Amino acid sequence: MKKLLTLAIFALLPFQAFAQKADKEQVQIFVEGVGGKIISIANEKVSESKKKEKIIAIIDSVIDADWIAHFVLGKNYKTATDVQRNKFVKLYRDFMINTYGPKFKNYNGRKFIVNEVVEQGSFSVAKAEFLPRDSNVPISVDFRVKKRSDKLVIVDFIAEGISLIETQRSEFNSAITQEGMDGFLVRLEERVNKLKKGEAN
Amino acid sequence: MRKIFSLTILFSLLASHVLAQSEKIDKKYIKPQIIMPQEDIEFEDYVRREPQIYDPYEKVNRKIYTFNDYFDRYFFEHVARAYKGGVPSPVRRGIRNFVTNLGLPMSAINSFAQGKVDNGLATISNFLINSTVGVLGIFNVAGEKGIIYRGEDFGQTMGHYGVNSGPYLVVPFLGPSSSRDFGGWVFDKGISPTGFNVLDIGNKENFIQSEYRLGINSLTAIDIRASLLEIVDDVRRESFDPYATVRSAYLQKRISEIQY
Repeated sequence: MKKLLTLAIFALLPFQAFAQKADKEQVQIFVEGVGGKIISIANEKVSESKKKEKIIAIIDSVIDADWIAHFVLGKNYKTATDVQRNKFVKLYRDFMINTYGPKFKNYNGRKFIVNEVVEQGSFSVAKAEFLPRDSNVPISVDFRVKKRSDKLVIVDFIAEGISLIETQRSEFNSAITQEGMDGFLVRLEERVNKLKKGEAN
Repeated sequence: MRKIFSLTILFSLLASHVLAQSEKIDKKYIKPQIIMPQEDIEFEDYVRREPQIYDPYEKVNRKIYTFNDYFDRYFFEHVARAYKGGVPSPVRRGIRNFVTNLGLPMSAINSFAQGKVDNGLATISNFLINSTVGVLGIFNVAGEKGIIYRGEDFGQTMGHYGVNSGPYLVVPFLGPSSSRDFGGWVFDKGISPTGFNVLDIGNKENFIQSEYRLGINSLTAIDIRASLLEIVDDVRRESFDPYATVRSAYLQKRISEIQY
């Protein structure tokens, strides 16, 4: 019995290794796909507002905004009431996609490649490089990816070692400490309204 | 005699910074408590990676931040915009190459001090090639040939040997720093012939005489500010607390530079 079990474990080992490798490839294909779509939209000859709209839709479909909202609230998540949490999570999605989505419309570069994928705990980090149209110096951006119910989602963008969501957590935490959760939510709501009207960009 | 005196002052300044911060950290440093929902063990990785924000002088730092912000909005930003708008891009590139090249010897020394021999040699070859073939560093010939290096400073060297960043500091006119990094900056600038040149390298007869130094350092500062125009605009427009955003980004960037 013991022998059989050992044999079974050894027999499964290569599959395990294979499964992990396949995961890395999956992540690479996923991130390159997202980057490719963004670049092709950025290069399209359509109006700026149309570009913005299309890119926001892509970003919205590939990030896990709820997870990020939960993360950026950090220690304040525990102390917030259910009403505050729900309001924040709802506002955050709009804030995130409308603040960062439009930035990608300038990514009308020549090339976007993922150089490698590394495992970090329960995340995969795709180390990507983007080559702008007017420069020979590639810009490196890391995409932190995780699996959420069999679908890959992006949870962080890390540029030059600076994580977007860590920076945001620090910023939100400081703002909440100064003006309280409700005061912060009022400001966030005002911002989201402005962003949606296209005033804040 | 003057050299020894200046060096002693420099070292004691630095030592007092490092000692002061290590004592303060032992006594006062409290690890930030991040309460995470238990079901989300994946948050742990981020908690581990989180830069340890130690900002005991936050009140003063915020005041200096506001001062720097005013100085920038009403003066320096305009200088940088005029520079970017008025000086053609190839000339700006030449200026950037030139000032970057002047900093390479210090960067190479710091690389070697950290045992990063390959990077040190790559830095030296950049300096030698660009200073000669690249006409005093105006053309980045080495970079175009693919000789890539990473810049290192004395703050990174101290970080490499385990010196913590110490209290976060906002330095008037210079911006975000930490006691370790500001100490490192004073050291680098103190030794460098284009800085305070306490060792009197190159005497006073050549092009790095004091009157040129002010020009070189001003150009470096304008070039850096011009390269940050869009980022600073974004932070000012988007952040709910620009002070906290800059602090977090600075500390993360330094950790990543030191870990490399």
